[in-house]
Amino acid sequence: MMHLAPSDGVAIVTGAGSGLGRALAVELVARGFTVAGIGRRADALDGTAEQAGSAFHAFAADIADPAQVAGTFSRIRESLGPVALLINNAAVYPRRDFLDETAAAYMHTVAINLGGTVACTRAALEDMCRTGRGRILNVATFADIAPLPASSAYSVSKGAARIFTRALIADLGDRFPGIVIGDWMPGMLKTGMGIPDGVAPEVSARWGVALALDMAPDLTGAVFEMDTEVLPPRGLKGRVKDLVLMRRRTPRRLQT
Amino acid sequence: MTHPALEADHDVIVIGTGIGGGTVGRALAEGGMRVLFLEQGPAGFRQERNGLSEIFVPEGRAARGLWPRPLHATIDGRESVTYAPLGAGVGGSSVFYAGTLERPERHDLDETGDRPHPTGGWPVGFDAMRPWYDRAAEMYHIHGTPDPLSPEAPMRLQPPPAFNATEQTLVRAFEARGLHPYHAHTAIRRLDGCLNCLGVKCPRACKMDGRSAGVEPALATGRAALVDRAEVLRLIGAISVEGVEIRHDGQTRVLRAPRVVLAGGAFGSARLLLRSRGEAWPEGAANGSGLVGRNLMFHLNEMFALWPPRGTPDDGATKAVSLRDLYHAGGARLGTVQAMGIRASYGEIVHYLNRMLAASAWSRLPGLRQMTRVPAALAAQLFGHAQIFVGLLEDMPYPGNRVLWDPAEPDRLAMTYDLHPELLERRRLFRRAIARAFRGQRRVFLGMGPELNLGHPSGTLRFGSDPKTSVLDPGCRAHDLRNLWVADSSFMPTSMGVNPSLTIAANALRVADGILTEIR
Repeated sequence: MMHLAPSDGVAIVTGAGSGLGRALAVELVARGFTVAGIGRRADALDGTAEQAGSAFHAFAADIADPAQVAGTFSRIRESLGPVALLINNAAVYPRRDFLDETAAAYMHTVAINLGGTVACTRAALEDMCRTGRGRILNVATFADIAPLPASSAYSVSKGAARIFTRALIADLGDRFPGIVIGDWMPGMLKTGMGIPDGVAPEVSARWGVALALDMAPDLTGAVFEMDTEVLPPRGLKGRVKDLVLMRRRTPRRLQT
Repeated sequence: MTHPALEADHDVIVIGTGIGGGTVGRALAEGGMRVLFLEQGPAGFRQERNGLSEIFVPEGRAARGLWPRPLHATIDGRESVTYAPLGAGVGGSSVFYAGTLERPERHDLDETGDRPHPTGGWPVGFDAMRPWYDRAAEMYHIHGTPDPLSPEAPMRLQPPPAFNATEQTLVRAFEARGLHPYHAHTAIRRLDGCLNCLGVKCPRACKMDGRSAGVEPALATGRAALVDRAEVLRLIGAISVEGVEIRHDGQTRVLRAPRVVLAGGAFGSARLLLRSRGEAWPEGAANGSGLVGRNLMFHLNEMFALWPPRGTPDDGATKAVSLRDLYHAGGARLGTVQAMGIRASYGEIVHYLNRMLAASAWSRLPGLRQMTRVPAALAAQLFGHAQIFVGLLEDMPYPGNRVLWDPAEPDRLAMTYDLHPELLERRRLFRRAIARAFRGQRRVFLGMGPELNLGHPSGTLRFGSDPKTSVLDPGCRAHDLRNLWVADSSFMPTSMGVNPSLTIAANALRVADGILTEIR
């Protein structure tokens, strides 16, 4: 019960055609799950299918388009069954100085990074609210804390996506304690979007899948970076109080 | 887009789907009638598990099945705005209850030799109600053990689960004091994987409430339909109810059926009748007596924390222990004492102590709020977890205590209530009796002033034989409107010394039987 099992339903990974999304899909299939991979490029999804095996099912769709998302989810539901796990992984990171942006191009990034997460989450909740059980893991970043130059649309949309996680918990947390919702920062990865000497996506995917399959209700709202929990900041007063009352929290670590 | 059920013909419209509406609707549907349930809140998702909430966003409250708007309460002339523990979704407030369904004592309903009744007795007495209590106990799968002090034949109770170690220790300690604890009468079926949904919505048909034991079995007959998010604005008619005006999906429309059963709760039902005033009914519907909304009663909650003897294993919160030793003491009507299903840890005790402090003369001393942490932390370290008990003190009917309705603000929920000296005097007796009964056990009263249990409103459409002094007749049919019945806690002439739910359900079954008998 405390872990998601293949019998609970389908696992969906967005952005499953490359990088971390592909590694997450491969890892989930290796753990026995039926995985629906969503991505824009059919050929890239085929590449993932080759690596993952026959339990991986490719669904080519543009998550920036809510109608495509709704259609894709109902096809997944019809062909594979109800959704138990959603990993909102798909994102784009156009490195562009703001003066090189058009408002339309900028908002298209927002439509993918934030809009895609919203649309997929809304669609996945159709099943999860019916069964009262499910897991939503949002792949997140610290990009909003101190935005880098030439990263405005990415920072804004990924920052808003983190707010979305919290707003989603405000709406659902008390009503559906069996739907576990949280953010995960995979770390700097050695992927197309990442850095050359980053963590191998296969390593990171093992952490991500371990976290995605953990159904402990108190993981709702928890934030993990790589394999370790990031505790919410405490002020000095709070830390002194914790010390006096001997209730200092230690961050949780994922067992892979 | 209109709901298909709004276009169909129905034999009866049931307004409200709480424990009263759900129960009466089920009995009517099972009796062969075509029933339309109207519920102002959303049906929501069956898997929701939320409890009550202080969220102040009306749409956020509605999404949780809570009454969306606050209660404006004027108590002893002091105005306050609070979120009463009221539901507004399928199952009403009952989906949030802890499932304690206890039968009252004979003297709650009847005038007995040594126990005069404040109203001279209910028009339907204890013996006439007894078979309906039995039926309700069966319908709500009630388990528990009989009250050893009661001279009456017990209700049909299913055997309860064995007491756990904490409960056993408490029971032994009580018995050693000469008290008579018993296993509380509870409507939680304890199915496999029971989540013990005290105070929260149960995602399965395990906790029996107005939804799981009422609306859902009614819908299963195929003769009932439910329209949610349908807010009833007023009743229309003259010598009978000719229409029910609702707002649904942004549209106002009038529904018609030969019979209407009102079950919007003691606040909602009274407010709807007051709100239905028009040419034919200048004072509101069914209000020839002028008593609609009056005689509003609650219980006073007398809460105390009790620490089990040292070394007692901690098996979590208990709701299972009840006792009636103090129910009627020193010639006064007091009430039952029961475990609340709350285990007080450090944080809760801090919360209670702070609340007491806020109400006390010490409240202005800076820093004192932090100080309560020290004794509470010490108590938690020394004594472990306390169990919270509550004494429910019977409230008496006063016409001045009432639900208010203001045409300028028709959606506002408002009441005015005065704490009468005799109530405060009985409260003093009750506290003294509790202190005496539990002497020698570590305990602390929680709360300083009298605390109204706003989750137990009743009495606002009292039943009686005389149309001048009651709103409803003994069959809970309006004296003035012969196709209107009421099946919620409004009918009660007195508030009794126990939780009202079982009495609401039993009476709803009796009301349904009256309707079914008449049409046969």
